[in-house]
Amino acid sequence: MADSDDEYIGSSGDERGKRASNSRKQKGAGDAGKERWEEIQRSWDNVVEGADGSISAAVVGLLEQNKRKRLLKDTTPLQRGIIRHLVLVLDLSIAMEEKDFRPTRFLLQLSHACDFIKEYFEQNPISQLCVIGMCDGLAKRISDMSGNPVEHISAIRKLRANGVEPKGSPSLQNALDMARGCLWNSPTHGTKEVLIVFGALHTCDPGDIHMTIKAMVQDKIEVRIVGLAAQVAVCSELVKKTNSGSLAGYGVAMDEKHFRDLLMANTTPPPTRQANTNASTLLTMGFPSRFSNPGHPTLCACHSNPITSGYMCPRCMARVCALPTSCPACSLTLILSTHLARSYHHLFPLANWVEVARHDVKKRSPKLCFSCERPFPKLAALPPSSTVAATGDLATKRTSNAPVPGVKAVPSISSTGRYACLDCGKWFCVDCDIFCHEEVYNCPGCEADPEGKEKRQREKEALAAKETAQTGQSSAAQGDAMEIDG
Amino acid sequence: MDRVDATEHFAQHAQGDLPSLLVLIIDINPIPWTTNPLSTALPFNTALSNLLLFLNAHLAFSHTNKVAVIAAAAPRGGGAKILYPAAELPTDTKGRPQSRPPQPAPQPGEPNKYRPFKDLEEGVLAGLGKVLASVNEEDDGTDRTVVSETRIAGALTLALAYINRLAGAGADNLGQTLTKGTGTTEAGTMQSRILVVSVAGDVASEYVPVMNCVFAAQKKHIPIDVCKVAGNSVFLQQAADATGGVYMKLDAPNGFLQYLMMAYLPDPAARQHLVLPTQANVDFRAACFCHKKVVDVGYVCSICLSIFCTVPPDNICMTCQTKLAHTVGGMVVRKKKKKKAGTATGSGAGTPTVGTPRP
Ligand SMILES: [Zn+2]
Ligand SMILES: [Zn+2]
Ligand SMILES: [Zn+2]
Ligand SMILES: [Zn+2]
Ligand SMILES: [Zn+2]
Ligand SMILES: [Zn+2]
Repeated sequence: MADSDDEYIGSSGDERGKRASNSRKQKGAGDAGKERWEEIQRSWDNVVEGADGSISAAVVGLLEQNKRKRLLKDTTPLQRGIIRHLVLVLDLSIAMEEKDFRPTRFLLQLSHACDFIKEYFEQNPISQLCVIGMCDGLAKRISDMSGNPVEHISAIRKLRANGVEPKGSPSLQNALDMARGCLWNSPTHGTKEVLIVFGALHTCDPGDIHMTIKAMVQDKIEVRIVGLAAQVAVCSELVKKTNSGSLAGYGVAMDEKHFRDLLMANTTPPPTRQANTNASTLLTMGFPSRFSNPGHPTLCACHSNPITSGYMCPRCMARVCALPTSCPACSLTLILSTHLARSYHHLFPLANWVEVARHDVKKRSPKLCFSCERPFPKLAALPPSSTVAATGDLATKRTSNAPVPGVKAVPSISSTGRYACLDCGKWFCVDCDIFCHEEVYNCPGCEADPEGKEKRQREKEALAAKETAQTGQSSAAQGDAMEIDG
Repeated sequence: MDRVDATEHFAQHAQGDLPSLLVLIIDINPIPWTTNPLSTALPFNTALSNLLLFLNAHLAFSHTNKVAVIAAAAPRGGGAKILYPAAELPTDTKGRPQSRPPQPAPQPGEPNKYRPFKDLEEGVLAGLGKVLASVNEEDDGTDRTVVSETRIAGALTLALAYINRLAGAGADNLGQTLTKGTGTTEAGTMQSRILVVSVAGDVASEYVPVMNCVFAAQKKHIPIDVCKVAGNSVFLQQAADATGGVYMKLDAPNGFLQYLMMAYLPDPAARQHLVLPTQANVDFRAACFCHKKVVDVGYVCSICLSIFCTVPPDNICMTCQTKLAHTVGGMVVRKKKKKKAGTATGSGAGTPTVGTPRP
């Protein structure tokens, strides 16, 4: 455990204030850019009045644009590192005393780190994590590599309870070296990642950090950084070199929410780069069954706590209290099949839906969203497509790495408010589009009407077969499923 | 300042009385309903009238409570459909509905019936009639042999999308046409839950979609209650367990109404104070992808997480065609370069037949 200094247990408010102002002076030299409060964004600058003087059309357009922005996901079924090994590096240096994030950078970092760990294990149930802190020019181990979120969260909470204060300068090199050590033993089939929260604008290193970066590249460790103050040259170099030239993993937080978003973006398993797929392995895993015998508690093999219900290792019959874990007796990986299922949506992602063009909306086309039965807006009530800017670069950064198959052009914001699944041909509203792609990962049309989908598939094949003979064969044979240009 | 006080007061009042949405999914697979032990103990007609009574009870709790009913059918037995509330048709420029389905003639002899009850009953029966009629009349040469398993993923997805719509729209009335993009209202404006009345088993190929629904529901804190009238479903067991819903297998289906009222009527807020039926044993074991055999120690592909009961031939994963090294005791025995990238296609359709946990 980190030998935290107890110096500041009862630190009074004004002492903090002094430290904060000190560090602000230190920082002033490096921070030459605009201050955050100088860049003002007026939301009313973006609104254009319609012909009739009302802004409702523009508002609807903007809302859709915002929603759709988050949506254009990379749906390439590329291999993602489902089994991850990540080192979370927290900045515990004096720069974290700053109060530009409420309540302070330090406290916000700790609470976000706890949320991150929870979400990380939600998304990656069979992954491992360890936490390191940077302070006083040293790297300190906060929690060991393990797959149990509770351990990490309680270690971080303890940090706070023990009254650990941000102190000294951070050392990137020491932290990276320690992270490298943590990841040394990790098996080759998993990813090796380091995620750094970096509040300071300098690093205080004992040696040449470029040597360490080289070693990181050699070990195939990907480093991603969330900056809090400003971009730092050595950080961008570090990210660039360890991510094969991509800077996507380096973000500087603009406000509290952005900080959280940047951190949470790292809970999605990263696509495996060709260079990193050094080995795929067949893992032996145990699927334990649950036992419960109320009234007769037994001691669990992992913590020696009395438990009345838990799981039994299928190989050695040892009883454990929580999953996933590795059996304390025979070191078999114990997991629930639901844990594996949680990752399947990364492996079989839902294809993006395409917007329905204005000229495809006909009299006979569906008037209701297939899944929620919300009526579609009438075409006349929609803003003309010109007011809604079609911005291709709104797509997430990941798309730049891999092209999105199944979608020919990057879909722009629909001007019809209708989105079509290419598999089943059903139409959906924008809210369902987002909901299905971000939370359910199912297409309601494909699931609710599998026969319609099969039928459409057959029609498609038939159409392709005699495509040359009859070009304009539009089949509206099936009630509400409409043919769209796929 | 006065306004602030007023809203606070209002908020406090509203806290205890959140509108509650109950989405009922009825399994309308005809085979289990007409098979003997169930068909005598609980004919479908009786079950339906019991369910309507139960839904009325839910509506009676508060005038803000809402109900939706979705049908789930067997593969090739019609898809999942929302039975109630009936879809609102967009109004034309004069505010008239573009085409109204013919209103059922008002039942004589029921002038005193509470209006929401009446609407619900008529809506559900009309919706059900429409679904059954569409299954009967649709004759397109497809194989219509109905099996005794029921597709549940479609109904669950529809239910979640519907809940998402209502939660996003705040406390808006069901009957009103909602302007799209009402913004992101807090999900706390509506308490939702799903009740699945199931009589049949699982469709094995639906494992991934069902689990996707379960995790979505879990994330949004929507409990999935399962009332298992007949048959056995591992998926639904896991669904109830993961989302904190009630799972009950009825020992005496003729007491259906009592089960419904006692176990499924209390909403999540009330359940905190009740002793609920619990599942002692949930089947969490996995089935291998190769033989659908239940395994307790299996081999898992590190790329696609497929489960195998034995080391696959030539160490090549059957799902993603990756050449795998086999580890013994945590050590990699053989290291081989990956042969081919995943072959799974981008759509949900590309989902390979995935193994299902089976009892
Ligand atoms: Zn234990
Ligand atoms: Zn064991
Ligand atoms: Zn919709
Ligand atoms: Zn679809
Ligand atoms: Zn097998
Ligand atoms: Zn595989």
